[in-house]
Amino acid sequence: MSEPLDIVILGGGTAGWMAATALASLIPPTRCRVRLVESEEIGIVGVGEATFPEIRNFNHAIGIDEAEMMRATKAAFKLGIQFVDWGFKGSNYIHPFGVHGPVGMDHIFHHRWLRARSLGLKSELQDYSFAAQAARDCRFELPETRSTALDCAYTYAYHFDAGLYAVYLRGLAEQRGVVRTEGKVQDVVHDPETGNIRSLLLESGETISGDLFIDCSGFRSLLLGKALGVGWEDWSKWLPCDRAFAVPSERDELSPYTRSTAMEAGWRWRIPLQHRTGNGYVFSTSFIDEDEAAASLMRSLETRALAEPRMLKFQAGRRLVNWEKNCVAVGLAGGFLEPLESTSIYLIQVAIMQLVPLLPGKIVDPRLRDEFNRLIDLQYERIRDFLILHYKLNTRQDAEIWRYAAAMDVPESLTRKIELFRHSAIIERYRDGLFPPTSWLSVFIGQGLIPESYSPLADTMPGESLISHLDAFHADLLDRVEEMRRHDRFIDLYCGAERATAPTATEMRL
Amino acid sequence: MTRRIQQVVVVGADAPAWMAAAALLRSVSGAGIRVRVVELPTLLQPVDAHSALPELAGFHHRIGLDEDLLFSLCKAVPVAGRRFSNWSGAAPPFIHGYDRAPPPAAGLGFTQLWIKGRQNGLRTDFENFSLASVAAKAGRVPAAPKDAELHAAFGYNLDAAAYSALLRQGTIRGGVDSKVGTIADVEIEGDRIVSVILDDGERVEADLFVDASGPRAALIGRMPGADVESWREWLPCDRMLVASAKALKPLPAFSQISAFRHGWIGLFPLQDRTAVVAVYDGRETSDEALLEDLPALAKMPIGGDAIVSDLSQGVRRRAWVGNCVAIGESAFSLEPLDGAQLHIVHYCISQLMTLFPVGAGAFPEAPLYDRIIRRLAVNLRDFQLAHYKLNRRFDMPFWDGCRDAPVPETLQRKLDVFTARGRVPLNDDETFQEQDWESLFIGHGLMPQSYDPRVDAIPEQEHIAQVQARLNDIVGLVEAMPPVDAFIAGADDQRQTEMTALG
Repeated sequence: MSEPLDIVILGGGTAGWMAATALASLIPPTRCRVRLVESEEIGIVGVGEATFPEIRNFNHAIGIDEAEMMRATKAAFKLGIQFVDWGFKGSNYIHPFGVHGPVGMDHIFHHRWLRARSLGLKSELQDYSFAAQAARDCRFELPETRSTALDCAYTYAYHFDAGLYAVYLRGLAEQRGVVRTEGKVQDVVHDPETGNIRSLLLESGETISGDLFIDCSGFRSLLLGKALGVGWEDWSKWLPCDRAFAVPSERDELSPYTRSTAMEAGWRWRIPLQHRTGNGYVFSTSFIDEDEAAASLMRSLETRALAEPRMLKFQAGRRLVNWEKNCVAVGLAGGFLEPLESTSIYLIQVAIMQLVPLLPGKIVDPRLRDEFNRLIDLQYERIRDFLILHYKLNTRQDAEIWRYAAAMDVPESLTRKIELFRHSAIIERYRDGLFPPTSWLSVFIGQGLIPESYSPLADTMPGESLISHLDAFHADLLDRVEEMRRHDRFIDLYCGAERATAPTATEMRL
Repeated sequence: MTRRIQQVVVVGADAPAWMAAAALLRSVSGAGIRVRVVELPTLLQPVDAHSALPELAGFHHRIGLDEDLLFSLCKAVPVAGRRFSNWSGAAPPFIHGYDRAPPPAAGLGFTQLWIKGRQNGLRTDFENFSLASVAAKAGRVPAAPKDAELHAAFGYNLDAAAYSALLRQGTIRGGVDSKVGTIADVEIEGDRIVSVILDDGERVEADLFVDASGPRAALIGRMPGADVESWREWLPCDRMLVASAKALKPLPAFSQISAFRHGWIGLFPLQDRTAVVAVYDGRETSDEALLEDLPALAKMPIGGDAIVSDLSQGVRRRAWVGNCVAIGESAFSLEPLDGAQLHIVHYCISQLMTLFPVGAGAFPEAPLYDRIIRRLAVNLRDFQLAHYKLNRRFDMPFWDGCRDAPVPETLQRKLDVFTARGRVPLNDDETFQEQDWESLFIGHGLMPQSYDPRVDAIPEQEHIAQVQARLNDIVGLVEAMPPVDAFIAGADDQRQTEMTALG
């Protein structure tokens, strides 16, 4: 067998350690050796304290024990994202991690609800979402623990301390053979013939050579952007926010959802963890200056700040390709989309999990590279459209950014989705990429886009029985939610950061 | 809200028309929408047969059709796959079996284990790890429980006229109004059909017209912007012959597709006969010469009922224009190489149901339907084209041309990624899934050059044990499956019992 592939990861934030752990866990040392270069002097961005349910697949694939990881990262559960003041001032909806209505009926359920509404039923779509109702009531149980259909109607993600997650992964990665090198890159040495990256020259004078380089250097994109000169596609005309202030505050109510509140020049997040609440204000300097944004964030805190607000600068967009020559970007080095739907860690994960099966040999096969780039582009574009949707559909007229967003031209792929939903309540499905129809549905409806009509297939049941069916379903759902434990209680039992050991089955029993 | 659709008229004949009517009856007649069929003259000849994929069962379930009737009334034979022979020089035939186990969640399927095994000297061919292919070779019908990790399903060879009659009877009994006629004229204003005028002078009006007339494209063919984009540049065959031969005994559990100098010949076992189809390039051989060669090529005497027709392959630029929706071969047509003809029909119908227009005024659903049907068509064309592209019949102008011609970018990507790593990048609206493409590619001799590096994390002994275990599991499962004749007799008995019980 040939020599193992030497993989060099530059950067040790969430992206770097996720990549290192995954490669070391999934691919045997006979096939690859993984080195990670990072500098303690360079801070990590550590955005993405809120995750998307796909993170569970990643953790499962690399053999992470959930409760242990949650203890180590002071994590809490997440059943969705609450959007406050987005559609209009005073509006409030949850994008839940789960379907609306009974399992397996999501192709027709919202049409039935729309019909019932036209017959006079007063209810919200999310009244029929298990995840949304449990989230509002601050309750949580693992969906696998019970098997009735209704309890399978949701999934979940985590709020965790991304810095601690990186530390936790570093422990695993080093156990599994990843070699960490402390140092800063002084120069990148290219192969004069191919233009490939041959090695990194560190300030210490050490040279780190490799066959494949994974750029996890964050916004600076030291390898893909700087050394290889891969260009940037700017999406800021659709997603104008270019700064964020982040600040932790004392813990308050451990609600199992992320909250996103629309503000005068962007939006504010609230992410409850076991030991603190993460807060941040994502804003656009075209509409507010930095000091004012920081002050606005500090005023809005519900609990005492634990630090000074820290500012991040960014631009929405992505590199023209995420794999060029022998260099693959993972995370911010390859692109940035604001964390409105908690997709930062998902984008890291998807790059890693596409790279693993397509991992090249010592000479890069362009067929593998092209396929990787195609899949990553699809992911970015689908998330991009979904984020733009939140802005485009707002009906707030009280601030410049919202007037701008409502009037802006959006990508044609999104325009046609919006128009079809507006007219016919139809949502197109796709195979690759995040956000199933139920996610699109919750944002369309939540932002106030009530379709003009619904499918005639929903007309088959007499109106009265339809309404009583919906009422019965909602009542049943509320009963089930009431049987669930409170989220904070569940966390204490399952993965409280104070616990030393895993919970026993008896402890977990309801 | 715009005015709702009140009247749908299906214009067409044979299985497509009755499938559409049956589905409409089930889905929208409960909403007060009237469904009517204008039944055009049949396009079927007594020799015609359908060869369908297993997914037809789902459609039958949705329209409430008792599948036992297929075996008692439609001469049906269950088939576990298609056997391809003579496509690759001296290489042995292979079976594209109808395996239907979902791909593993982590994305590391058995195929990757097999590729590594092959590189390390494993001699067992890929098809022996396909439950459906092994069942097909053993003459057995895959009827394993659905939750098994190894799961296969059977498709159907059906007498076309009997199948159409069965659907027609059930649909009319269900309350669909039908009228037999031919079209004298279609009255079109802008991009809308106002009425279809029949030969007896009746003006048939509707809010929505479904064109199920097959290759005639009796309605969509007259609509603006719905001209055909020909695929002749990719798919050279332009003639099709259908005929009958006597029934095979015992009945095999597969259809047979053999390449010959100018095209291919299919043998489709039915209970009472074998349907014979030849698809070929008319520039290469005349119909007469082909007919003369046919018994030798099919290795059996051919009946005197052969019928030859033109075959044109391509997709309409728009499949839904105004208030006219084309389904099946009215929307796009391909040669029957992979048995997708009825699948195209019911896929179109199910898309029409999902996108059923909310009003009779405007039809903003149409562009999405067009995109979906085009993707479906392109994916199927690529699957079919791959057979030609991967042929290894050297020194024959027809086959050399097929092998050397460039293929569309969509297929080239699949070929490239598969060759490089044994993975199949699927698009939206694929009829065939990873396992089908893998079976096709490997069967035609396309061997991946490398495999997923995660496979090397499996220790060698365990790898060998997993490979062996799969072989053993398949043998065990196939032994428990009924032979074709017993399966058909069983379906028939079941039917008799039910009839008796009903008194």
